[in-house]
Amino acid sequence: MSSRRSRVSEEEINELISKLQSLLPEARRRGGGRASAAKLLKETCNYIRSLNREVDDLSGRLSALMATMDNNSAEAEIIRSLLRS
Amino acid sequence: MQATKSFEQAFLKQMLLGIQLSAVSHGSGSLQERKSAIKLSADVAMAVARGSKKWTRGLIASLSKEEQNRSFLQFVLGKEFERPAKICHSSWKIPRSKNIVRRSLRFLSKRKSNIRAPNSSVLAGTLVEKRTQVLKRLVPGGQSMDAFSLLDETLDYAACLRAQVDVMQKLMTTLEASKHSDAQRPKEKFHLLPMVGSWYSTRKGLRKRLSKRPKLTL
Repeated sequence: MSSRRSRVSEEEINELISKLQSLLPEARRRGGGRASAAKLLKETCNYIRSLNREVDDLSGRLSALMATMDNNSAEAEIIRSLLRS
Repeated sequence: MQATKSFEQAFLKQMLLGIQLSAVSHGSGSLQERKSAIKLSADVAMAVARGSKKWTRGLIASLSKEEQNRSFLQFVLGKEFERPAKICHSSWKIPRSKNIVRRSLRFLSKRKSNIRAPNSSVLAGTLVEKRTQVLKRLVPGGQSMDAFSLLDETLDYAACLRAQVDVMQKLMTTLEASKHSDAQRPKEKFHLLPMVGSWYSTRKGLRKRLSKRPKLTL
């Protein structure tokens, strides 16, 4: 096992892990990023699940909103202008 | 990935096109059908706007497994969709990285469990592995990823999901606000996406940037 190679890779991995930590919403960071890997994974999974739930919820609300939109409404015009830009 | 303004704009445009395609705006179909159509548009838009990543390919693959999605995918993706999905069986490629990640992750757990009984570090390893399996199911295409790719793709996927939520939220807000406003008002260019710059900034920088976001003017 080439030690030089594993050292570089471990750096990359640590970078990934710290990026993941900073991506997560305000997780308690007592004494600087010493969250355990298990905790990090759990919070990552929870974060992804909650984002998926939000998308699901927003899809429902958008569909209800758009159902009441007619072609001449301001909302339809917004959508058209967004598509033109 | 840097969730930039261009990603958000590409996503928004692609999603709106998709919604028009599925004729959701015409109000036909049941509530559940319309909701599914919007979610489908949003997911496809996210994958298209992001481009070629393992998770985007995984997402399209899992979406295409459902019969009712196929014609939409066909229309939006065209030739891309007809090409057989290349599932990445690349776990053999970097056999070492898997072990290195496992070691690094165990090392992280060990640091915390130093004071506890010697058994706990072994338990921590199992918990890590269990949760890694959960993550693999959550990230599209995750099952065939090695540990390093999984972390990398997770970062990217989570950032895109975050942007997806933000853009949909902003769209909601804009549409809701205009519903209440005077329809006679001259149509202004709505600045829906004022955010610029990298999202991978420090937490402080991101907070500062968010607070500076201009309010929507109607």
